[in-house]
Amino acid sequence: MKSGFSLDLARPSRRHWLGYLLLAPAVLLIGLIILYPLIVSVDLSFQNVNLARLDQPRRPFTTANYERLFASPDFWNASWVTFKLVVIVSFFCFLLGLGTALLVNNRFRGRTLARLLVALPWAVPEVIAVVIFAWLFDSSFGLMNWIFIKLGLIDTTVNWFSSPGAAFFVVCVTMIWKGYPFVSIMMLAGLQSIPEDFYNAARVDGANAWQRLVNITIPSLMPVLGVTLVLVMLWVFRDFSIIYVLTGGGPLKATQSLSIMTYEQAFGFFRMGYASAIGVVTLIVCVIASRLMMGRAPDNI
Amino acid sequence: MKSRPLDRIFLYGSVIVVCGLLVFPIYWLFVTAISTPDQLRALPPKFWPETPRWEVFGQILRDRPILLWLSNSALAALGSVVLSMTVSVLAGYSLSRFRVRGGQSLGLFILTAKMLPATLLVIPLFGIFRTVDLIGSLWSIILAHATLIIPFTTWMLKGYFDTIPRELEQAAMVDGCSPFGAMVRVILPVSAPGLAATALYGFVLSWSDYAYARTFLTNAQSNWTANLGITTMKGEYISNWADISAASILVALPVLVIYLFLERYLVGGLTAGAEK
Repeated sequence: MKSGFSLDLARPSRRHWLGYLLLAPAVLLIGLIILYPLIVSVDLSFQNVNLARLDQPRRPFTTANYERLFASPDFWNASWVTFKLVVIVSFFCFLLGLGTALLVNNRFRGRTLARLLVALPWAVPEVIAVVIFAWLFDSSFGLMNWIFIKLGLIDTTVNWFSSPGAAFFVVCVTMIWKGYPFVSIMMLAGLQSIPEDFYNAARVDGANAWQRLVNITIPSLMPVLGVTLVLVMLWVFRDFSIIYVLTGGGPLKATQSLSIMTYEQAFGFFRMGYASAIGVVTLIVCVIASRLMMGRAPDNI
Repeated sequence: MKSRPLDRIFLYGSVIVVCGLLVFPIYWLFVTAISTPDQLRALPPKFWPETPRWEVFGQILRDRPILLWLSNSALAALGSVVLSMTVSVLAGYSLSRFRVRGGQSLGLFILTAKMLPATLLVIPLFGIFRTVDLIGSLWSIILAHATLIIPFTTWMLKGYFDTIPRELEQAAMVDGCSPFGAMVRVILPVSAPGLAATALYGFVLSWSDYAYARTFLTNAQSNWTANLGITTMKGEYISNWADISAASILVALPVLVIYLFLERYLVGGLTAGAEK
């Protein structure tokens, strides 16, 4: 070996200038477009700023944004809406995702096609999913009104986007349809990593299908299940496009989540400082919640 | 295991019903696109139009600047993916192979960056881009999309490089490669599937963005991305669902095609790092 080769990649201690050099572009770019903006927004949240211009002198430090925020019923409404969304959407995404994954994990002819189809909504951009469901739930000619009347669930056509409860329902349905395929894909990958021997052994012991599901499948899926749950909840918690394009947060703020409220305050009313404060609170909740849920395995998120 | 015929019938039945129900919204988008306006108002609804309006796609391409929107989306996605992949490949390799001071903190920061709400980051980015006069330019969303993509790709690639045995580089270096040469000539070619999966995933992230495009490009019509264009159609043409649906299909098509033909790669990227 040449003398210049002091680099041994197999040794645990391997500080080398190349390691730093390779990291440099990423550090620079992340610093510039993620870290610096993040610092700016935390800074903004402590100022009374309306239009954010960085070339203007900094406003005096104030905690007024946060005080106003926690005293504002709109903020607590948005928190409640977000909480409801996270619980309901994540739950049904899991039900549907796990169900479909178990279904297409069976051996049958055409299962490659079935696997593709079952997760197809994953490949539909959120804005397009909104177009689909806005039309399905259209008040005059939407298909869902017709189907629900035929099924006897409603008596007359419902104007889905003008009643708070109905609009919230449509937002949930759209998000579940867009979100479950991710769970399905993750669960299917998890299912395929369970050795067939486990099931054979259980069959020999006389375990029925339900017992095999509860005693083998679910416990084996637990690690993937946890990561996926956190990822889905984070997605629902922060999602902007679906709600914004579908309802804009209305009617009567019934679908105004924290993300929507942040955006509306920033770009509807141009209260950048106040909006930053909501965003910072959202981020803190995200980080704490996912740390708590992930427990000791933070490197998986 | 003995498989009873009744079980088989039940299995096929549920697969067909479940797939049918879940894919139906996409089918309905398609039917809506090729229906005439009065067919859309028919009750009971027509689940296949009597006279399919196939020309709707050609017509919408002529009437609306959809090709411009699509090419803007493609440019933004290409730009942000190239930018993100360049820095992520190097960083991912470094995080995988070297013990660098501060490397762990960087990794942790990147993880936290994944949790950043776009609605929080969009506020300071708006201020910054206004100061440097990037609002309305495609560069604004190329940089903004990089904030979405880099945290994912860096971590995915680190995970991918971790699976490649170190002996490969050692052999290359014994044969006279420099450490950098070993990475470029040996590790990167071996990682091609992982790189492709990661880049595709980044492309999908960029293609699906709406929040950044809405904020930075609303007043620059010639730079509208496909998603932004679609939402403006939804706003103005309350009744013309056929046209909106046809445009939506054209916008969704690239990602659908990527998914249908390269599902293996995409799913590989999606689940990488999560199965531990």
